[in-house]
Amino acid sequence: MTNINGKAYAMNAVTPMKPWKTPILKLVFFLLGAIKPLQNKLIDLSFIHFARWVVVKRGQFPRLASSQPPEDLDYDYLLFFSNFNGTWNQYIDAFSDVLAGGLNLIWRWSEKFPGSIPITPFKRYISLVQFDTDYYYDSYPYAAINDVKAAIRVDDAVRLFAEGSEKLTPAQFQQAYLELLVKVQPDLGAIGPAPVGT
Amino acid sequence: MPNQSGNVYGLTILSPILDDPTIRISHDTALRIYLEKLPRHEDGPFAKVSATHLCRLVVMDDVVFVGAPAKQEHLQSKYLVFTSNFYGDLDAYLADMAAKIPDVVNDIWSHCVGYPGVRDPKAFAAYMKNCQIETTFFFAAVNDKTVEQTLRALQTKVEFAAFVEENQGRPPAELQAAFSTFWHRLEQLPPLRAGARELTRIRVAGVSGNAP
Repeated sequence: MTNINGKAYAMNAVTPMKPWKTPILKLVFFLLGAIKPLQNKLIDLSFIHFARWVVVKRGQFPRLASSQPPEDLDYDYLLFFSNFNGTWNQYIDAFSDVLAGGLNLIWRWSEKFPGSIPITPFKRYISLVQFDTDYYYDSYPYAAINDVKAAIRVDDAVRLFAEGSEKLTPAQFQQAYLELLVKVQPDLGAIGPAPVGT
Repeated sequence: MPNQSGNVYGLTILSPILDDPTIRISHDTALRIYLEKLPRHEDGPFAKVSATHLCRLVVMDDVVFVGAPAKQEHLQSKYLVFTSNFYGDLDAYLADMAAKIPDVVNDIWSHCVGYPGVRDPKAFAAYMKNCQIETTFFFAAVNDKTVEQTLRALQTKVEFAAFVEENQGRPPAELQAAFSTFWHRLEQLPPLRAGARELTRIRVAGVSGNAP
């Protein structure tokens, strides 16, 4: 299934917006980008590698030849592309549970958005506006974003340890090594398989 | 800059797909067939475009009708969506695509309106920028590591975990010597292959073994 590569799921969604709402949404995104603490819940969920929202105004679809018919649209469109770990249901459930306010703030400007709570109409809406990926590449498909973050912490700590370790006496080395292990042990767990499910 | 988070760039390209009713297999169908068969792992083309963390190609047939009272409308063209999350500079990335995977780029984008080919990398870059839509908001959980740095970190994690397990209970002097050998050998290892299906542990020879 090309929506999935290893532990990563490529989700695509498109929703229509009345053009007068587009500047409001852009202001929301501007504030989200400028006020970093607003992103904390998204960061804490920690199952998204990369995600993006792209507003395409109705006159902005690329037209590269006169032979290509011009678009004639009443709506602007919000495209959403996410690269997340876990199953589709886990992803939508988690977002609805933890980020309901944020989801509503972004998608309330899209036509017929039912709100992110309750979950059933929200999932129905996402299913309607989602379209499948035809090709998905991941340079580390076996690694969830938590695996990547853990690896970076271990790598940083071990490198720092290695730099000074040769000058230590064996007793000092052992002490420093134990301190290193205490620091990195939460991050040394095996990189397991992807979850099974929908 | 909305397209960017730290050192990672979120590229969004919408390329209109050619529409020729006279051909037996439409361009969008031909694209789908081609993409279905294109390798996605270490043997895939984007493993050679080394700045690529994750990318996708999607044939977008149309916009969605979400139901009344919203209005139903349709796109006049289908679009090839290409999104890439890569480390570094856009111009360098597009140049790398043209240089490293010219045949695949041609096979894909020859189905699109106005595609100039990759023989002239500047014309190719200009074409892609004409198709680029600015990313309105881009989130990157890790935005300061290259692909190689990420793969090295994953390799270190796995190899060090094995070292810890295999060297439990060693006397301090032996442990110190073992770690020194381990570290020097780990640093000599080539990084893990981009796009590999599995993380294959390369045993750092000579340093593993059960504690006495």
